[in-house]
Amino acid sequence: MLTIKGRPTSSNVMKVLWTLDEIGLPYEREDIGGAFGGNDTAEYRALNPSGLIPTAIDGDLVLWESNTIVRWLAAVHSPDDLCPVDPGMRARCEMWMDWQLSVLNPLMVPVFHPLVRRPEAERDPAAIAAAVEKWSDAWRILDDRLSRNAYIGGGAFTMADIPVGPLAYRWFELPIERAELPNLRRWYDAICDRPAYKTHVMRGLS
Amino acid sequence: MLKILGRLTSSNVQKVVWLCEELNVPFERSDVGGPFGGNDQPDYLALNPNGRVPTLDDDGFILWESNACVRYIAEKHGQGSPIWPDDIQDRASAGRWMDWTATTLAPAHGPVFVGLIRTPADKRNPAAIAKGRDDYSKAMGVLDWWLADHQWLSGDAFGFGDIPAAPFAFRWFNLPIEREDYPHAKRWYDAICDRPAFKKNVVDIGLA
Repeated sequence: MLTIKGRPTSSNVMKVLWTLDEIGLPYEREDIGGAFGGNDTAEYRALNPSGLIPTAIDGDLVLWESNTIVRWLAAVHSPDDLCPVDPGMRARCEMWMDWQLSVLNPLMVPVFHPLVRRPEAERDPAAIAAAVEKWSDAWRILDDRLSRNAYIGGGAFTMADIPVGPLAYRWFELPIERAELPNLRRWYDAICDRPAYKTHVMRGLS
Repeated sequence: MLKILGRLTSSNVQKVVWLCEELNVPFERSDVGGPFGGNDQPDYLALNPNGRVPTLDDDGFILWESNACVRYIAEKHGQGSPIWPDDIQDRASAGRWMDWTATTLAPAHGPVFVGLIRTPADKRNPAAIAKGRDDYSKAMGVLDWWLADHQWLSGDAFGFGDIPAAPFAFRWFNLPIEREDYPHAKRWYDAICDRPAFKKNVVDIGLA
């Protein structure tokens, strides 16, 4: 049985759980990280030396890096559906998955952390406003992409939509000034209709 | 002909050029970004709205994000070579080191490299560089952990998963910083340095 180690409130764990439910794959999950701790034990570090979550275990394979796990699950269990078989289409999906890691996520951190994980008295509103502005620029790039494509990877829902999904929830739920991005909104509304997204991602900000 | 847009002093461009030479894929490269500019121009932004380098143009198929470019070229031109392993599980394991480089190693190295190489001495922030060095070292320790039990990041043979981390290993071993002893990472790095395409496109470019 596939095992996922990681608390469900982590956006990186959400990606994996959402993927698993889209596929309909059974799994076991253990709460690790955050308030649950357990990610600094020798046992966990022997699997994942960074102590980050999630870690996926399937037989001999121990895998971490959430996008790697999503890509692997999609390739093995959902070829031609979540994972396109055409190399060009697949590369396009992977490009946007990498973009979530290298561009969208780093710009989210200085918005999300102060607003959700820091007491109000310790926040710097000017710094947050500037961070929102930079984050908006990244969402504009995706909005433009979605003006020409129903989904991030192209015409259909694929693994390319998954890494961005939990960050989109934060974008639309955080108490911030949001730029008007109609294509992003249309895509987000479609994502929100997916039961697995509702279950694993739309569960509040924490 | 495959076109690569991006200056060779960018570690992200180096990954793609190095891989093309490993696989004997012909390409043309043009200098974009950094002192060459051009990455804020409408014609470039129409290809890559992030304004970053590299951008790949494969007979009209446009791709960016260097790790995605590495994966695409490795799959297209590396079939049958250990650079693109046949086994899907081996590919997943190798690919983890690409994502890890993007999420952990590259961001950890950033404040150190930019602070020491791209910032004038009188404008440097020593505290930020020192903190960055500790993070960079911790990330190199993760490489060392894996390489204690594996010959390569990609497993038993050099593969696409070794490529993204290597330019950052070059910087770790060559920046004027204090270095912990990471013998397994050093053994791997020395083996990478023996590869002519790495020497030409990373080592010989130096720290710039």
